[in-house]
Amino acid sequence: MEGTNCEYEAYQSFKRIGVLPRYVHVNELKRDKLSLEDFSVLFIPGGFSAGDYIRAGVIFAQRLASSSLPDLIKFSDAGKPIIGVCNGFQVLCELGFLPGYDFTRRFALSLNDSNRYECRYTYVKMHSKNTLLGEIDVGESYLVPVAHSEGKIVVDRQHKTLERLEEESQIVMKYTDPFGNEAGYPWNPNGSEGNIAALSNPFGNVLGLMPHPERLYELPLDSDRRLIKDPVLGRPFFESLRKYVVSKSF
Amino acid sequence: MNNPVEVPVQRISLIGVNEDQLKKVSETMQLGLTVDEMLKLREYFKGLNRNPTDIELHAIAQAWSEHCCYKSSKFYLKKYFSSLEKHDAILAMEDDAGVVSFDEEYAYVVKMESHNHPSAIEPYGGAATGVGGIIRDVLCMGAQPVALLDSLYLGEVEKTVWNDNALHPRFIFTNVVAGIRDYGNRVGIPNIAGSVDFDPSFNHSPLVNAGCVGIAKKSKIVRSFVSKVGDVLVLAGGRTGRDGIHGVNFASAELTEKSETLRSAVQLGNPIIKEPLIHAILEANDLNLIDGMKDLGGGGLSSSLGEMCFSGGTSAVVDLEKVLLKDSNMKPWEIWVSESQERMLLAVSPENLKAIGDIFEKWDIEYSSIGTVTVGRDLIIRFKGEEIFNLELSFVTGGPMYCRPYELPAQNPSEYILVKDDFNLKEFLLDFLHDKENCSRFNITRQYDHTVRGETFIRPQCGIPNFETHSDATLIHPVPESPKGLAITSGSRKEMVEIDPLNGTTATMIEAYLNILVTGAVPNSVVDCVNLGNPESKEIMGQMVSIFSAISDFCKKMELPVVAGNISLYNQFDGKNIKPVPSIMMAGIIDDASRAITVNFKEEGNLIYVIGSESSNLGGSHFLKYLGKQGRAIPSFDVEELSRIAKAYLSAAKSGFILSAHDVSSGGLIQTLMEMSFGSNIGFDVDLSNLSGARYIEKLFSEGGQRIVVEVGTSDKRGFEDLMRGVAFRQIGRTIKERISISDQEMLLLDGKVDEFRERWVTGLDGII
Repeated sequence: MEGTNCEYEAYQSFKRIGVLPRYVHVNELKRDKLSLEDFSVLFIPGGFSAGDYIRAGVIFAQRLASSSLPDLIKFSDAGKPIIGVCNGFQVLCELGFLPGYDFTRRFALSLNDSNRYECRYTYVKMHSKNTLLGEIDVGESYLVPVAHSEGKIVVDRQHKTLERLEEESQIVMKYTDPFGNEAGYPWNPNGSEGNIAALSNPFGNVLGLMPHPERLYELPLDSDRRLIKDPVLGRPFFESLRKYVVSKSF
Repeated sequence: MNNPVEVPVQRISLIGVNEDQLKKVSETMQLGLTVDEMLKLREYFKGLNRNPTDIELHAIAQAWSEHCCYKSSKFYLKKYFSSLEKHDAILAMEDDAGVVSFDEEYAYVVKMESHNHPSAIEPYGGAATGVGGIIRDVLCMGAQPVALLDSLYLGEVEKTVWNDNALHPRFIFTNVVAGIRDYGNRVGIPNIAGSVDFDPSFNHSPLVNAGCVGIAKKSKIVRSFVSKVGDVLVLAGGRTGRDGIHGVNFASAELTEKSETLRSAVQLGNPIIKEPLIHAILEANDLNLIDGMKDLGGGGLSSSLGEMCFSGGTSAVVDLEKVLLKDSNMKPWEIWVSESQERMLLAVSPENLKAIGDIFEKWDIEYSSIGTVTVGRDLIIRFKGEEIFNLELSFVTGGPMYCRPYELPAQNPSEYILVKDDFNLKEFLLDFLHDKENCSRFNITRQYDHTVRGETFIRPQCGIPNFETHSDATLIHPVPESPKGLAITSGSRKEMVEIDPLNGTTATMIEAYLNILVTGAVPNSVVDCVNLGNPESKEIMGQMVSIFSAISDFCKKMELPVVAGNISLYNQFDGKNIKPVPSIMMAGIIDDASRAITVNFKEEGNLIYVIGSESSNLGGSHFLKYLGKQGRAIPSFDVEELSRIAKAYLSAAKSGFILSAHDVSSGGLIQTLMEMSFGSNIGFDVDLSNLSGARYIEKLFSEGGQRIVVEVGTSDKRGFEDLMRGVAFRQIGRTIKERISISDQEMLLLDGKVDEFRERWVTGLDGII
């Protein structure tokens, strides 16, 4: 929808793994021009939907819900991947698909501790195994770009949500330094609780993350590869996704 | 043309009116026209045997403003730029933006423009709409915008006491950056390059020069004119409102304390209308539905529609009531000259109207057909059927041209500046690197989204994540199927230009060229954005002529086209002119983007060379500025040597010998070496002895010449040196682990850790932004 702006690099990343992506405008769902059923993966890209002037992702979530909430639920119940990156993560949070506890809100993505937009590279490490991301090694730190001003995960304490997220293996990735240590700012660019970078629903097929694997498929320069030996998140992220979809034959 | 009551148009008496009254008319209607220009109009309407309507008069005032018709500069622009060859350019200084060949199939589109006056009185909105406007200039060529850049010039942002009755320079600074950030980030175009400089002369007259790069298939380039009679004129995007009325008139006049009341002359930007507008326009263009297109910027419909038809040899009939409005009470003249943002004017064949309407509806974009392209010379505007405007387009759009007198600045002979060198170099550097002029720009660049679109190969900062250094030029990879990359830079050597506009501009051109070159790319286009004071002064015109002639000379020698440009005049506050600033944007192409070279050192134990003749003149340096001194002459710059260096450097780069490279510019050799070490925590051990017999202060801080510092592997020593035959080069040291060490004539000048210098350099803007 208007203000969504990371669709180009997401499209390119899907193309790189040999699948056929298609841009879908929320108006096309609203006007019944196409059906979500015909797709195997739903990727909600980042950006500033509707300008994010109210609360990040809230208008996008409302428009998605009003046009196709039952279809989205069917999509998710079938085990098909729904991925939200950055603003897409905020949308999944607003929709109640994450953390996936009966559509109740249990966490928020609030303003970064630095109180400003942060565009930089950082590292993430898998914290719990995730069904969509089989190709990503647990224990290794992956390089990934971040770029947002509202990405700090704040968890509802009343319901012991953090504990439950941990128990149900929903904390998928944490921010780290290059050596795999949880190291605070600037590696954790927003001040997220527990350095959380990515969350899933209890089944693992709905995944939200603040970093942008679609923006850096691999290090582009030969000279950077000489200097930075760490793996980059982009390629294994999308290759895992393809493997998952192929194995389930959606 | 009898006006029935319901048409809110007034007729203005010019015929038989004396000079004083004419002056008054210009003032009360905020036309910004001089008495001479008003007299010319009086004669013209006398010839027509009628008085003008208000909308006619406003249209002429817009078109004749400095901003729209370049009346003070076009004579000299023609003199210096019309003889330049096009080289790789497809359209140079012809349409809204320059178009340059990228590869066989694609072209890139570039433009840079100032948004100084609006940013002075409303920094956030002014800067944001500067970004919005430049995106539209690129979009209207049919190109996908892929990169933004901005060169900013600000005042004494660190001042704690501020008694002036005007905005604090820090307020201007933070809001300009916020405006650029909030617009650019929301619209989803990476902001990847630019520069930030400071000087007290920009306290009240900040300069905001915004640039944009786009990419398009050559076959899909849309021209900024319409030649097809019968085409429908479609206005799409944002609605038209009262925001931004008379923007061009006030941008063509001096600012004073009272100017703050002119805030309504600043437009309001809306990136969330722009973002889908980009998609819709490109989708329509891909289906060949657009015959001609122009964005609405300064002067609004009046300027865009007029120029679009005039350049195509056509005219138009417009039904002004069809324009979609924010406020239905707007008068026709307000509709015609409103500079409301996010609007595009398209010429569309009647048979394509339905198809283009479907696309706009998909993207929720409002549009309306407002007129028809006609044959002939007269532009006719109707309002609810009543004719309210009927003028020959060539008279309105042509505008006057002035050949203003100029006086060239005196050329001072080269001088020797003696500075005491009895200070502790390390302590000095720890402060020098922390100074706002010399420190890192990360507090700004990290607020801009520079990785969106996933095509940024060299970011504004390069090196190990979160321990980066500044890049010289940034590099994008705009066509996924092609290995080619596009390197981009912009900036100005304003300290040099201030002392010597001619040679300082050459220094600016050389720096831009080197920034592109060090990445391994070949520069192939230039855009100039020249910011000056009041052109009614001979001195300012002298600056203009010097700057133009330096750009022109450089481009002839280096075989480069000037593809687009912008001249911003009347940058003055209460009679005080700004220092002259030519912002130069350059772009270049590298055949294999993955092999591009970055600034940061790569490994310990490699050799460090300086390529290019040594310079020991401190004139125009940041070093002298930091000490509060100013030279009267600047170092010499040699374009012929640059040309030889470029050839040798590119062959060494192609052979893979250059591991890292950085040009010597602001801050001199020491700043260059420091910045190379800051990106990877690899230090250097350098001996200045064999550079020259000059004093170490001069060797470290001179900013003259055309020099590049490079890192070369020990095993490539022979190969590299063989390729460098024919140019001056010297090995000055090696890369080492974590330490910085400099000696001269067997004397240790500096010893420290990379970290301690980096820490000071990185935090220089903390507390300011």
